[in-house]
Amino acid sequence: MRAYLLLRKDLLVLRRSPALVAILVLYPVMIAVLIGLMATYANAKPRVGLVDEDHLPPTIVVAGKRFHVDRTIEEVSRNVDLVHLSPEEADRQLDDGRLVAVIDIPPGFLVTLKGLLHSPHLILRTGQGGITPRVEQQMQALVYNLNLRLQRAFTAADRGYVRLLVEGGRGTVLGRDFDVLGLDGTQRLLDKLPPGPQVNRIRDFVHDARIALGLAQQAVDATAHPIQLEVPPERGRSWALSAQVQAYALALTITFLSLMLAAGAIASERDENVIGRLARGLVSLGQLVWAKIGLAAVVAVLLGSAVALIFAVAIQAGNVTGGEPWQRLPLLVVGLAMAGAAVGAIGALIGGLAREARTASLVAILLVLPVVFLGLVPREIVPPAGWLSDLFPFVHAVRFFAAALFDVSPWRTLVYEAAWLIGIGAVFGFLARLGARRLLA
Amino acid sequence: MIAARRIARRFGAQVALEPTSLEVWDGEVLALIGPNGAGKSTLLALLAGALEPSEGVIERRSGVRVGWAPQRPAHYGRLSARQNLVLFARLEGESDPNGAAERLASGHGLPDDDRPSSTLSVGNRQRLNLAITMLGDPHVLLLDEPTASLDPLQRRKLWESASQLRDARGAVVLATQNVEDLEHVADRVAVLLDGRLLFDGPFEEYQRSEAAAIFA
Repeated sequence: MRAYLLLRKDLLVLRRSPALVAILVLYPVMIAVLIGLMATYANAKPRVGLVDEDHLPPTIVVAGKRFHVDRTIEEVSRNVDLVHLSPEEADRQLDDGRLVAVIDIPPGFLVTLKGLLHSPHLILRTGQGGITPRVEQQMQALVYNLNLRLQRAFTAADRGYVRLLVEGGRGTVLGRDFDVLGLDGTQRLLDKLPPGPQVNRIRDFVHDARIALGLAQQAVDATAHPIQLEVPPERGRSWALSAQVQAYALALTITFLSLMLAAGAIASERDENVIGRLARGLVSLGQLVWAKIGLAAVVAVLLGSAVALIFAVAIQAGNVTGGEPWQRLPLLVVGLAMAGAAVGAIGALIGGLAREARTASLVAILLVLPVVFLGLVPREIVPPAGWLSDLFPFVHAVRFFAAALFDVSPWRTLVYEAAWLIGIGAVFGFLARLGARRLLA
Repeated sequence: MIAARRIARRFGAQVALEPTSLEVWDGEVLALIGPNGAGKSTLLALLAGALEPSEGVIERRSGVRVGWAPQRPAHYGRLSARQNLVLFARLEGESDPNGAAERLASGHGLPDDDRPSSTLSVGNRQRLNLAITMLGDPHVLLLDEPTASLDPLQRRKLWESASQLRDARGAVVLATQNVEDLEHVADRVAVLLDGRLLFDGPFEEYQRSEAAAIFA
């Protein structure tokens, strides 16, 4: 009951501090948006150097098709910022990290390409770093796209040769012009000859060859693209409304809020000089810690639900695929309460140890960002980050929220993550009770 | 009503109060005097139960209710005076928290508006501090420099309240550096210096003692 009175007091204090509440709500939302933008767009266009040692002209003609070099490179390199550099400058910038990779077009590239007898080489040099594999993939995609364009030209040329063989006419191969009779012309000549066994055999050959070359035209296309990737019109949720983003945004908001509130609220009991009044029998230290954990849980439920409702309204208004899982919101509320309480227990520990609200708030801010970032590091890539992250509620809250809202069969995950949250809350709650003794020192 | 048996308090390596024994009797006003840092506030906080002694014990007669007013006002700055009083009345278990808050707010001349108590004048904050102390009808009042920021009228009211409690067989312990407090209400005086109890006796005896000369 006395813990409830303190909790009610804290809520009343919050109600009388609208600016503080606004900052506490807006700040984590802003951080969530920034992290989202960073995760989506950071390194989206890594800087890659292009060293043209072959001095490619503005336009080149390959297999009878004209290519605008700069325009082509620009079109196929949407995912990288391609900059033309001298070999020395490219080396320097690759060494000091301003470039993540350099593509060298070696001397003789164009001649080899036009010769159609050998494949010319592009040379990719990369630096070392987390996005190097991604840049390699992007460069492979770039070369794939270049090849695709050249293939189209080659395929068109091949089709022209086949058409020339069928229909006859004037053609050019390797720069040399010549006349071709073609199967049609042969057929016309055969029609003028008197019938006979040999003429009939040639006529049969012309017939078979015409069929075979008809198939060859399709075969040229098929061998050029054994498998084609078809991209149907966009379907599914936009990134901003995906399950993962909602779960992260909710977890980040309540982690920040609950940690700051619990830490600040318990330390402010000492700042306001009230702790002595309370401790002389009105409120035990255990009740005090419970009150702050309760405050964190209540605020997490209220503001977490508000954030979830904003997502829900956006999903409904945008008629997003799948719609909002309204019937799952009660599960989310349970998760918000547990996560808020677990984070609140850590906040109460920080506040008790820090003993003054300003220090407690600073420590809470310093702690919250590493905890969140640890939760964002893929555990498959950096396992220790995953283990460390497991000791804090953030990552369990993310998994709970995502499962509660979107998993078809969420119960196993919910029970598992709820057990983690309760365990973490109990351990930190116990430590907070011990740490609260410092408030009286 | 309350007895301190060889209680001491240390804050880390710093000794705030040497082992000290002191008893508070029914129907008396005990004045704790001494210079700054003598240990008066620490002794009061220990008697109130707001601090735990590093050694020794505090004995309190069963059922005795204690009110404690720390030197620095102890209330929630974001809440109004009325909201503070209602909250502490509830925590003290008052049967009619709103009635008790109303009575004490008017009795101490506190403003009846919604202003945060942190915006009150120093004097009004001290009045609120004392009003909260009176909640729960305490038998013993432990007051730390209670008159330091009160105007003469409020000071006289406080002396009257202390006298009334004494007459009702209650007790008042006030830490003070104000000679007027001694003259008006003190029955007994305890003198502290550097965390040690130098003198403990009736006011008349104190006046004749060397301790009185020290703090004159």
